[in-house]
Amino acid sequence: MDDLKRRLLQRIIRTMPTQMLKTTLSKWARLNIEQQESLDFTQPKFLLTDQLLALCGESGLGVKHITELEMIYIIDNPNQRLWHAYQLLEAGDDAHSVEVTNFKEQFKVHLTELIRHVSIKIKKHTDEAVWIRIAWGDRSSRPNHLKPTYVVHHLQTPYVFVTNLTSKTMPLLSQALVMATRYSSMKDANLSGRNLSAVRDLLMKQFQQVFPSKHLQPLGKKNQINSNPQIEREQDEQSETRLQIACEAFGGGTLPELQKAIYTLETKLKDNTNKIMTEREQPFRCVVTFKSTNILESLRHSAMTGIASTPVTPMLSSISQKGRNHFLITDKGPGPQRKL
Amino acid sequence: MAATLIPPDFDSSSSTDSSSSNRGITRSLRVAEIARRKTKAEDPIVAALKYFSKVQAGTPVQGNEELERNLVSVETVAYSKGLSPEAISVMLEFAMSLRMGTSPCARVLKFLLPSTVVPHQAVVRAVVWLCVGKLPITTQVLFIKWVLTVFDMIDAKDNLRAIYGFIFSFVTEENLCPYICHLLYLLTRKECVRLFRVRKLLELQSKLGKQPFLLHLLSLYKVFCPELVTLSLNSRIRAGFKNHHGPWKLALNAIQKRNFVQVSSDLPLALQTKEKAGLRKRKLGQMDLPVLNVVVQSQKQTSYNKMVVPLAHIQSFVQLLENLHLIELPAQMGSLLGSGLALHYLDCVQDESAFLRLNFWLGHALNEEFLFCGHGGASQGSDEVVRFLERLLSTQHFLQEGFSSVEAFLYKFLNVWDGSLLRPQILGLLSNIPVVPSSCINRLLSEPLMQLFFTSTVFFKCGLIESLNGMLAKWLTWHSVYALEDGLDVSLDSPTSMHMSRSGFMQSVVELVRFVGRLASLGLQLEGCHSLLLSFVLDFYDTVCDIFQKYGLPLVVMIPAGVFYPALFAFDPVSVDRLAQIMYRYKMNLTSAKKQEKLTGQAFHISRQTYREFNHYLVFMVNCLWNSKIFQPGDDIELSEELLLRSRVPQYWASFNLIHHPAFHCYAIDFHHKCWPERRDVDLNSIQNSKTWGWYLEYLFTQGFDGLQQFIQSSISFHPSTTDSQDHRP
Amino acid sequence: MSLLRPLSKLPDLNAANVLLVENEEHFQQKLADVMVNEKSVIVQVRLAKSLPLPMKQEKSRPRIDLVVFIVNLMSELSLHSAEASLKHLAPGYFLGKVCFMVTNARNASVPAERMEAVRKLASALNCPLLFAEDQTPDGVTNAAERLLVILRVAAGCVPMTTALFLSNLTRCTISTEAEQQNSDYDA
Repeated sequence: MDDLKRRLLQRIIRTMPTQMLKTTLSKWARLNIEQQESLDFTQPKFLLTDQLLALCGESGLGVKHITELEMIYIIDNPNQRLWHAYQLLEAGDDAHSVEVTNFKEQFKVHLTELIRHVSIKIKKHTDEAVWIRIAWGDRSSRPNHLKPTYVVHHLQTPYVFVTNLTSKTMPLLSQALVMATRYSSMKDANLSGRNLSAVRDLLMKQFQQVFPSKHLQPLGKKNQINSNPQIEREQDEQSETRLQIACEAFGGGTLPELQKAIYTLETKLKDNTNKIMTEREQPFRCVVTFKSTNILESLRHSAMTGIASTPVTPMLSSISQKGRNHFLITDKGPGPQRKL
Repeated sequence: MAATLIPPDFDSSSSTDSSSSNRGITRSLRVAEIARRKTKAEDPIVAALKYFSKVQAGTPVQGNEELERNLVSVETVAYSKGLSPEAISVMLEFAMSLRMGTSPCARVLKFLLPSTVVPHQAVVRAVVWLCVGKLPITTQVLFIKWVLTVFDMIDAKDNLRAIYGFIFSFVTEENLCPYICHLLYLLTRKECVRLFRVRKLLELQSKLGKQPFLLHLLSLYKVFCPELVTLSLNSRIRAGFKNHHGPWKLALNAIQKRNFVQVSSDLPLALQTKEKAGLRKRKLGQMDLPVLNVVVQSQKQTSYNKMVVPLAHIQSFVQLLENLHLIELPAQMGSLLGSGLALHYLDCVQDESAFLRLNFWLGHALNEEFLFCGHGGASQGSDEVVRFLERLLSTQHFLQEGFSSVEAFLYKFLNVWDGSLLRPQILGLLSNIPVVPSSCINRLLSEPLMQLFFTSTVFFKCGLIESLNGMLAKWLTWHSVYALEDGLDVSLDSPTSMHMSRSGFMQSVVELVRFVGRLASLGLQLEGCHSLLLSFVLDFYDTVCDIFQKYGLPLVVMIPAGVFYPALFAFDPVSVDRLAQIMYRYKMNLTSAKKQEKLTGQAFHISRQTYREFNHYLVFMVNCLWNSKIFQPGDDIELSEELLLRSRVPQYWASFNLIHHPAFHCYAIDFHHKCWPERRDVDLNSIQNSKTWGWYLEYLFTQGFDGLQQFIQSSISFHPSTTDSQDHRP
Repeated sequence: MSLLRPLSKLPDLNAANVLLVENEEHFQQKLADVMVNEKSVIVQVRLAKSLPLPMKQEKSRPRIDLVVFIVNLMSELSLHSAEASLKHLAPGYFLGKVCFMVTNARNASVPAERMEAVRKLASALNCPLLFAEDQTPDGVTNAAERLLVILRVAAGCVPMTTALFLSNLTRCTISTEAEQQNSDYDA
């Protein structure tokens, strides 16, 4: 147990940047003021971990408390992990009346019913989001606190954001969540990103959207630059149109930060002369990945400047319009299909 | 080796628990516990080194807390203060012996940052481990890169040279080859060059293609033993060895900087330039001279059969003279540029290998920085770049010659230059270019420069003319210094080993002067005879007109009409005066050439055409300024009588004489006032009579128009009553 | 599809009109901002992404004295776009009223072939090829000044010279000999 405590603490301290250590520890509030003041943050982290462990021992703090520290840190810095979005389907009648305590209770009950060795910690954050930390065990082993799954759910919305989930535990979580939220099923929303709020905004369409219209909206951006009467843009109209189209496709204003857009093409060879390849069970796959610090901004910019041809192909515009960044393209239809 | 560990000063922290007497018992226990831990942690480096020297082979790495702790403690010390020579030995031995497998090896290599020196024994032992051949290839590369980085800090390189053969044997390893070649390049001495090695390298070259690293090593071999390397090598290989920065450079600099205060207190560093403490090395587009590294080395240690003195240890000129034959050059040749003594050494020893290496370094640095930059060149024009180029310029001035790599760089750079980036420095470097064969001038200089010249502002035009003037002056000086007195051919012992026949040289000069003549005439036309530009152009002809008398080259190239007439009709008297001065010097040169021709009977190659041109200009100038006879038939400037009458200029033929010339008009009026203060209406023509004309000239001469004075006194038979010009027909 | 013609309209008094064509539409704005500050002549700058220009403004458009193609060597598209636009210029422009301006020439990631292609293009059309540093303000100012030098001549504002004369002095030339020599240096 002591060893686990030590490794857990070590890992948390190591991931935390030094300048954040102090504030996070005071937020944790498990150490008294005197103890907090006795900590020397200038020493190497491995020494600091030793000192913290000693203090924990002194105050009788266990693994449970240390996971709390981790949770505080993760809630404050959610952007260091890769978040996957899931969507809850078919809301029950009372889905909208679920409130926090009820949800907490239900979720815990359902999950512990499904699996015995599990450690759950639920915390309500200020922005109406419920944060759940789950350490999974299996039939024989105790919960592994070193690889916890984090789940973020905004009550009364059909979306769930999960990080660090394995395919093994996925059905368990799905079932517990569905029961607790009174929905009937949960599916992968094919969206992932490092920035939690961006993923959320994209799904909930909380960014400025531009709708197609016949009349060019005065977007005002270009006109401002072109204040000098001696400078004239010959193709102003064209670029206005391109800007309009780009904004229609990807949205206006600042766009949510996504890091990747992945397109997977699955196709089968159709060639009567080559039987072996045609009858192959496995389709051929081709994966195209776009990467950027902000993929939507990049795509919009390339459409605006004419690097990408306009009108924008639905392949690209679906990212913001459908709120997803994993696409599977199969032989059956031309448009983006669902991913498995 | 671990037996020689230095025990670091012990801390007296165990006395802390005495202050906690009034606390509870648990508290004091805890404090005691912490104190115990602390003392253990206080002394981690010694314990860690002991651990690394003792640890058994085959100890597991995974989950080994002890290993982790010890690694961390050595790492901390390494990054803060650097490791002592002993610690380097221990850690290098630990890493290279693979006692705990390969995984800690790379990590250890990455923090091997020496605080003072790297013991050569350690490096030799590591090479031995390399020969065992168990190391993975990436680690081998990392190790060689490390050696290259700390090369200047290795205390004695002779032992490394002793295993030259072993190191050489790694050349066949494809991944290691570039780094090994670089290391060999730094180690090679004359005695290392053997036929079988040359053969091996040639064989490799035929296999790998003309790789720059092989070419460089071969060219160094060729310098030492030209009879062994028959391969013809182009002296202008594009890039030098890549500067392998590796992970150490920055950390090493930080340590050196931190230790600098301490080191400098007990070691006088006369060689270092003043600013050195604040210098950073080249990194990501920042350009700087490498610091001439000083390895702390006591006198006892230099007990080898062959003594060498690193250049960095020489502190005075006297020392330099005493040790001239024992000097060892540093690995980073660029550091020579920063040191005055090093330049003295370069200058007097004329060591071809040193020049070769310096050229490689420079060529590489310049190419990387300006021609193939990785970051779009956004940070250029920064202080560091400017400082670097200025240092380069001052070095070239000191050595009185240009570097061939700089020359090659400039030819390429001019083709992509925008004309403003680092303009003063680039123009400075341009003027230092050594004589270019006349067949290449057009392609290498004229074409890129023409385009830049005619599309740029007048200020660039002035700068370029000035730079070309400097180039011409340097060529002529170079010729007058090195030309053999009797023979026609120029040959010299300069490291640039330039051989050029005198006629070839003359052709180059003629080509350059013609080129500038074209630039100047057309430039003046485009800029509407801008007087600033005219002044720079006249500067150039100041140099040109004196080629024979001042530099002893039997060559006179006439000023082109496109410069002569704008200068003659300029609005400012200074230009006219300078033109007169230039014409006077032309006359002196031509007459003395003629005299010498008669005296020695030797035929000079100054053509009749040149004399004719000169006389033509002279007659026109005298007619215009003195005789008031302008627009004569046969002149370069001809206007029809009818047109001139229609212009209704009274006495148009006199409108450019010394009285009516726009440049001298105000002097004439002033003179008139002084002569006849009582007269109301100014009648300038009254100066024209022979008596006042003489006074007027006297007056002009007192105004500082020396050129005009010399011109008039030499070209016009100076008798107040006769106003006749004297021709110089050959 | 209309050709842009150099002499189809009358010039304005003491005015010079330049057309900057750049696919990225980035550097041209910076250049234009500097160029309009010129005092000696009234400079009108027209910006375009590519040619042909829209017919709608045909009437209001003044006579264009100089067409500048800005090519960013980092992008293949930029070069292709400039090449495609050349077709929409009347041959008269190539008598000294077209020039190429290249950015990012010193970048390591520029393939040598692209640079060569631009040189060939410019020399085949007898046009000057200017290099510019678009990253620094000094570089932009200098590039604008150099364009103004050419523009003033092309617009006929400099006595004693013509656009054709100037372009004869400044046009890009490549000789086979030069290439040979270059490859020698690179060896």
